[in-house]
Amino acid sequence: MDEKQFIAQLLNPKTQNEAFQKLLSEYQKPLYNHIRNIVLNHDDTDDVLQNTFVKVFQHLKNFKGDSKLFSWMYRIATNEAITFINSKAKRNGMTSEALQSKIVDNLKADDYFDGNEIQIKLQKAIVLLPEKQQLVFKMRYFEEIKYEDMSEILGTSVGSLKASYHHAAKKIEEFMTRN
Amino acid sequence: MKAFKLDNEPKITTGFTTPEGYFDGFSEKVLQKIERKEPKVISIFARRKTWVIAVAAVFVVAFSIPMMQQFQSESSDIDQDVLENYITQQSTLNEDDIASLLDENDIQKMKVTTSIENTSIEDELSTDTDLENYIIN
Repeated sequence: MDEKQFIAQLLNPKTQNEAFQKLLSEYQKPLYNHIRNIVLNHDDTDDVLQNTFVKVFQHLKNFKGDSKLFSWMYRIATNEAITFINSKAKRNGMTSEALQSKIVDNLKADDYFDGNEIQIKLQKAIVLLPEKQQLVFKMRYFEEIKYEDMSEILGTSVGSLKASYHHAAKKIEEFMTRN
Repeated sequence: MKAFKLDNEPKITTGFTTPEGYFDGFSEKVLQKIERKEPKVISIFARRKTWVIAVAAVFVVAFSIPMMQQFQSESSDIDQDVLENYITQQSTLNEDDIASLLDENDIQKMKVTTSIENTSIEDELSTDTDLENYIIN
């Protein structure tokens, strides 16, 4: 079944429920990982992921099919996650960078983090990067999303994404060597 | 110290985990949330109420238009020509009354600046028969 048929099923009230269940089971894990990499904490990820799927469902009728369903959903998830982090930081009266550093500093105490020193060190190195480089690095290194797909999700050219990843990787390697 | 290279190291994972069975119940949670957000059925009374409010709003707007126009016409400036005509034709003011209202600045502005030829003054004086009287007195 191609994507157009699947979207038609999602829009048809008779087949909608079944198709949406399928969409959920297919995308819940990759989108969870994507959001978790941005907001870092499980409970917040749960909130953002639910909102993402609700938005996907509500806006499905406006989905033009200009891009792939996959990249459209990732775009919604990315926007939701970034908006969430920014508003959470604002509520706490700090910058989003400061908020993320604070979360990373407390990773050891997180019930849903099971990482060693090197994993913590890598997160600490990532948090020091500019927002765009962080996002590109996480999507490429952890999620292994192809540059072509990433380009569709983020609306940035492949060349510029590769450059961002290159800069990010270099800074991370320097940090990991130094510390 | 050995330089750290991402490509030379074994892949580092995020280390993030999820509560057990989290994804099993996830789709149920989302579907419930969507149902809650679906538009509610609006009763016929509620619909009628909005109609009543809409009609009332139209009446308020319709009545307020002539009132607004009235207020506006009251506050607008009186036409200069009409005022002048009124003063010259209807009022009991005479020239002296108007002159008394002028201040120094107004008088300065009214001063005639055109120069008068000496010969025309002479002509005027020579034809004036009362001149001798003025000089004598």
